[in-house]
Amino acid sequence: MTFSFTMSPSDLLLLLPEILLTVWLCLILIVDFSFPRLPNEQLAYFSIAGLVATLGCLIWFDVAGITGTLFANMFALDRMALFFKMFIVGSTILVILVSVDYMHRFKFFRGEYYFLVVMSALGMMFMASANDLLSVFVALEFSTLGFYVLVAYLRDDIGSNEAGIKFFILGIFAAALLAYGISLVYGETGKLVFSDMKTAQASPGLAIGFLLIFAALGFKIGSVPFHSWIPDTYHGSPTPVTAFLSIAPKGAAFAILLRMFLVSLVTFKPIWTLLLVAASILSMTYGNIVAIAQKNMKRLLAYSGIAQIGNVLIGLATGTKMGSDAMLFYLLTYLFANLGAFAIVIAVSEAIGSEEIDDYSGLGRRSPFLAFSMLIFLLSLAGVPPLAGFIGKLYIFVAAIKEGLYVLITVGLINIVISMYYYLIVVKKMYVSEPHDRSPLKVSGPIKAVIYVCLAGTLAIGIYPQPVTDWVVSAVMMFADVADPTASLPAPLPSSPSGASPHDS
Amino acid sequence: MGDLTLLFILFAPFVGAIALIFVSNRQTMLVRGIAAGSAFISLLASLYLFYAYDHVKGGFQFVQQFEWSRQLGISLHLGVDGIGTPLVLASSILLFAGIFVSWHIKDRTKEFYIWLLILAAATIGVFMSLDLFFLFFFYEMSVIPMYLLLGMWGSHTKTYNEMTDPEGLKLRDSVKFIFNFGSNSKEYAAMKLVLFLSAFAVAALMGILLIYKYSGLNTFDILVLREQAKLMNIPVLGTTLDKIIWILIFFGFASIAPLWPLHSWSPVGHAAAPAATSMLHAGVLMKLGHFSIIRVAFEILPETTRELMPIAAVLCMFSIVYGGFVAFYAKDTKYVIGYSSSSHMGYVFLGMAALDYISLTGAVMYMFAHAMATAMLFAMAGWVYDQTHTRDIPSLGGLSNRMPFISGCFVVGCMASIGVPGTVNFIAEVMIIVGSWNKYPLQVIVAVVGIVLTLAYLFKMMRGLFYGPMDQKYSHAHDAVSLPDRLPLLIMITVTIGFFFFPMHLYNVVRSGVDPLIAKITRVVPVASQDRELLSVKREAQTGGVPNRPQDVSDNASRDTLHASRGKE
Repeated sequence: MTFSFTMSPSDLLLLLPEILLTVWLCLILIVDFSFPRLPNEQLAYFSIAGLVATLGCLIWFDVAGITGTLFANMFALDRMALFFKMFIVGSTILVILVSVDYMHRFKFFRGEYYFLVVMSALGMMFMASANDLLSVFVALEFSTLGFYVLVAYLRDDIGSNEAGIKFFILGIFAAALLAYGISLVYGETGKLVFSDMKTAQASPGLAIGFLLIFAALGFKIGSVPFHSWIPDTYHGSPTPVTAFLSIAPKGAAFAILLRMFLVSLVTFKPIWTLLLVAASILSMTYGNIVAIAQKNMKRLLAYSGIAQIGNVLIGLATGTKMGSDAMLFYLLTYLFANLGAFAIVIAVSEAIGSEEIDDYSGLGRRSPFLAFSMLIFLLSLAGVPPLAGFIGKLYIFVAAIKEGLYVLITVGLINIVISMYYYLIVVKKMYVSEPHDRSPLKVSGPIKAVIYVCLAGTLAIGIYPQPVTDWVVSAVMMFADVADPTASLPAPLPSSPSGASPHDS
Repeated sequence: MGDLTLLFILFAPFVGAIALIFVSNRQTMLVRGIAAGSAFISLLASLYLFYAYDHVKGGFQFVQQFEWSRQLGISLHLGVDGIGTPLVLASSILLFAGIFVSWHIKDRTKEFYIWLLILAAATIGVFMSLDLFFLFFFYEMSVIPMYLLLGMWGSHTKTYNEMTDPEGLKLRDSVKFIFNFGSNSKEYAAMKLVLFLSAFAVAALMGILLIYKYSGLNTFDILVLREQAKLMNIPVLGTTLDKIIWILIFFGFASIAPLWPLHSWSPVGHAAAPAATSMLHAGVLMKLGHFSIIRVAFEILPETTRELMPIAAVLCMFSIVYGGFVAFYAKDTKYVIGYSSSSHMGYVFLGMAALDYISLTGAVMYMFAHAMATAMLFAMAGWVYDQTHTRDIPSLGGLSNRMPFISGCFVVGCMASIGVPGTVNFIAEVMIIVGSWNKYPLQVIVAVVGIVLTLAYLFKMMRGLFYGPMDQKYSHAHDAVSLPDRLPLLIMITVTIGFFFFPMHLYNVVRSGVDPLIAKITRVVPVASQDRELLSVKREAQTGGVPNRPQDVSDNASRDTLHASRGKE
């Protein structure tokens, strides 16, 4: 295999968001080391400034339609990648904002916290663009590296350490599976770029290879049966990290899954649909049923997250353009509702020092704002109109019914009812139960800001989704013709003229 | 106001609810004022709607359409026909009345009114939706406020209170407590209501999604679907698709109606709910079921409706008799009224099942009449509960000395609920009975027995509450004296009696909505059998040369006239 590596300034432009963030990453570290007495809110706002600049750059790309591929198709900057990058950077900004008040729980290395969060975000941005199995592996491990540290950031807390070990061992195991899967797929096809594998012939090696890759990505998104790390890790990690873990890596992993299933495996759609249907049914049912028994808010959200991922997998299982629209839409609604819910968990735990559901008793009297926001977020997760989650679920179901996945929809609909039960248990605690202690709760500014942003997102998307649906529809335009795999597919990505040499072995 | 009437009716309560968020809970009068004001705007607009609705023209009027989602084919399509108009009016009357009935709520007044306004607005939204998506949207939206209203301002049943008292704590281990026989807490009632309704709502959603898929029109618009959706003759699972869709839609929405055996959430919910919520719940929320069945199943699947509606005719008998008997033996005032409501909803199903001009008109008028009657009873049961803190009929009695106005109104409420001449319920009941007699004589006899039962249990309750000896501990109870307390009852009594003497506009309006519907359902020969006949005839014609039978000709003719009448709509 020969590589000729040439880059022109226009190629550098495509990498601008990543370059910007990398520079900022170094700056964060330098500022942290040079000014050890700098109050860490300022470092947080400094990191946010960099992320906002990156977000602005991404929006500019999206509006100006700057797309292309780099490094022999390894790195694809298309509108879907831009969507997921904005998704990741947006959630990172919100996560840093909710971290500001949590920071006092970390005894050491407060500055490095921001560095690690931004580093993971950078890794995930590469994941969103990964268009080749090698770059998938590198980007995925790069982003997970930061998380291994972040999960165990509460050094004196046994739970956090346990979470770190669990996440690390299982994460490494998933990485091994991924590497093994990649080697099998490469051995069978001799190709690494997703769009080159469309012509691959079915063979046991290829099937096992892709199953292993799916297992590794299933670990990232936390779908059953690869979910076992989720409850303990979510429970033990610092809550802002849990919030980050519950949303951004899932988005990034779905970007890879979409490319893998809808581009390289499009000819095997009938086979992988079955696989995804099974994963989706298991995730929804398992997540929702086990969530009923939870006594801790973070564990409840962990199991509810598993169930929500089952819903997103419905969209992937359809294997159509509309299904992928619905997935993107659903992830966006999930971002607002889930991050909002975690922001409230942080606010409550800062005020009363507990994350048990029982201690939410009477929150409606102690802090009407927090209780009302939590109500909105939980109902959005449950899928109640007029909130964003309802539209998201409906979008997914409409996409699925067009493909005739009746069993999946039936299970999904039944699961809405099951999930309503445990979300309403929390609502009951907040509004019906009397508080143990009637003192009002204080909410800090940054957390309030995050809650307002999430409330606005949840309500606005729920009441008028048209702008967002337009956005997601145009973001995955490249899958417009996957519905008919027999038709000759045009290359999904316009190959950049200044790319590298054709890829052959 | 012109064409914007529907928007005023729908959004005034929403705007009121949003405005209330920014008001402090301490300014109680301002809170009440905003709630009452927004409800009043809605009421005025719906009165205008009711009288401005042109029953000669018929069809959907005051239509508004805004595109909402291109990808999914959804638009906010609002409009009312003769069936929706009276129900919109009933909802806004009950909302206005309900705000005055809950005038004395002290705990979290603001939140109470916010949720009440959202509940009512969502209900109104269903009655004017011409888009399946928005119909479901508002339907589901009306369920969640019920949870909070029941949970936060509701009340436990007597048995539950006894069992959780310090002295009754040992009873908590009893089987009776564990299985909730009569020992329902408000939380249990609220959860049961939400889960039950959501579970059946998703069945209806499945039906809606199937209509969406198989119509292939990429739209949720009812007006488009009813003209163009071709859902007949698609074989699925040993039956046809239209039957499956119809069953999903029918039972999905019948749960809120509530049709026996899907009724169990309803009395429990009534018993736990605060008075104003019970009023809206029994008055209009339950009618969402009938209305949605009419709007979705009758409009989009007329042939299937004709084929399968006998299911409702069978189940409505059980509804009527079962509800009546349980109401007779219940000891809790709200259980009595709750079971009486679910029994009376059986009449509406009977009127719908008969698929006759008179009976369906009667059914819709009965929905309107029953809304007033049952809301009155709930308002007064709520007043008695507020004064005595009990709903246990045996322990009450002789309250007519303390509250002459309430007991007088209660008599009127009972009369209305029974359907005594002088109330609009009478007209509606007679129409249902007359209209269904030809088709379902047995059910009509059951319905008449049901009226006798109604008489028995309501009189029993009236005697138990207001007559006989009074326990001295209730001597502090007082009557509704002030205007805000009397206003809701006076409004509802006026409406009930007024429409008995001047029913023609109501009748005409309802009739204008019912006529095209029944014409469509009864005059179309089921496509399935017709096509089969045509095919066999063609085959015969090819092989044996038998000429077309005259029946086919008449079928085609009736089809043509139908198209003509559709055009008129």
